[in-house]
Amino acid sequence: MPDNWGFVLAAYGLAAVVLLAYWRRLVRRERALPGQSSRSTARRP
Amino acid sequence: MRVVGGVTLVALAAGLVMAFGVAPREMTQGNVQRIMYLHVPSVWVAYLAFAVVLVASIVYLARGLEGADRLAHASAEVGVLFTGLTIATGSIWGKPTWGIWWTWDARLTSVSILFVMYLGYLLLRGMIEDPDQGARYAAVVGIVAAFNIPLVHFSVYWWRTLHQPPSLMKPGPGTMPGVIVAALMVNFVAFSLLYVYFVAKRVRLLRRESEAAA
Amino acid sequence: MVWKDLLVERRSKETLNALFFFALLLLFVFQFAVGPDRERLAGTLPGLLWLGFILTGLLGLGRTFVVERENDCWEALRLAPGDKSAIYVGKLAGNLLLMLVVEAILVALFGVFFNLDLAGVLPALAVVIGLGTVAFAAVGTLFAAMTSQVRARELLFPVLLLPVQAPVLLATVKATEAVLLGEPLGSVAHWLKLLAAADVIFVAVGVLTFDFVLEG
Repeated sequence: MPDNWGFVLAAYGLAAVVLLAYWRRLVRRERALPGQSSRSTARRP
Repeated sequence: MRVVGGVTLVALAAGLVMAFGVAPREMTQGNVQRIMYLHVPSVWVAYLAFAVVLVASIVYLARGLEGADRLAHASAEVGVLFTGLTIATGSIWGKPTWGIWWTWDARLTSVSILFVMYLGYLLLRGMIEDPDQGARYAAVVGIVAAFNIPLVHFSVYWWRTLHQPPSLMKPGPGTMPGVIVAALMVNFVAFSLLYVYFVAKRVRLLRRESEAAA
Repeated sequence: MVWKDLLVERRSKETLNALFFFALLLLFVFQFAVGPDRERLAGTLPGLLWLGFILTGLLGLGRTFVVERENDCWEALRLAPGDKSAIYVGKLAGNLLLMLVVEAILVALFGVFFNLDLAGVLPALAVVIGLGTVAFAAVGTLFAAMTSQVRARELLFPVLLLPVQAPVLLATVKATEAVLLGEPLGSVAHWLKLLAAADVIFVAVGVLTFDFVLEG
């Protein structure tokens, strides 16, 4: 039975790409909001 | 938030270790079967997400809490994400295993209907300008969609199994060896944490966006 | 409520003609698509029939609330005293009637054009069609109210409605298939129970949530 590692890689790779892209989209949109640049450098209480 | 993110990352890493390092090579399918550790937790997260959409939608209609609306919106978005992932990974798993990219078996069909339903939910949200009205209408759709899920399951299952041999799906957890179940569980936890992290982040974004617009 | 009934009836006559011609057109299209191959036809007939129902239903229901929106009757509906869900039930009843009439015509046309012997199976067929149409009309009326004010309503309405109708469609086609083959309704009892459950669920949700839809 061939192992088909290519497919395994494809599946996990796709998942990683999609999830990472979504995470980055969230982060980017949050940074784009007004008043965010000061927040990221301020210390969180 | 950072703590949750950090814990999630650790859990995901553990999941990967379990899926590739600890779990054994499956006898009939070979290593391709490892996609299961991605595919099954994805569909679990999807159902979890849509259950949350149902509850949040009902709460929103009953109480008018904006937080409930944001939760519903975020959960639907993450749910659609993971549903899409479920379909994609299922398809990728299917190709080497059964030679076809797609088949209308019970699970894939149900999940596809799920995907399209909640995609419509997100589309509706995008198309209504008035945020209050959008929230209310989305809640109604979210409720209808959720109640449709059992109908989908029964109808598709009967469609596929009556007068037709059941699809060659892998056996349920009951017949799987302990190590595989353990690896699956770890990934379940990891994905659930990922769901929580994403939803929390998305809700926060929604809240801040509405504050910025006010 | 009497006013509502009259309104529904007036609109129905206008739409009925248009839907009748649309149904006729569908029949021609089906004939060309499936062709004179009798065997293939027999297999696809239940599916084609319900496809016809759904397409005409989408057209007919999609416009259910457009008249109200365009003529500013929406506000009147909103401010009307009494239980808003009565409006939903009224609209649902009107839509149901409209659809059943169109479906009856379609069944008759199918019988004529595809040379079917429907005499014995009509009662059973009526049961299946009735159950299926209630589910379609229940969600359709609710979603039509919501999409009536969206600019892309012709797109959003089917996009929302069709996935939700998938299980209902499965059930009705399977049941119709059995009925057309002359099998007793008991053989498809599970499908009928599913349809009945869908009817109850969808009408209940419609009744409970219509208030919130009307607010907008």
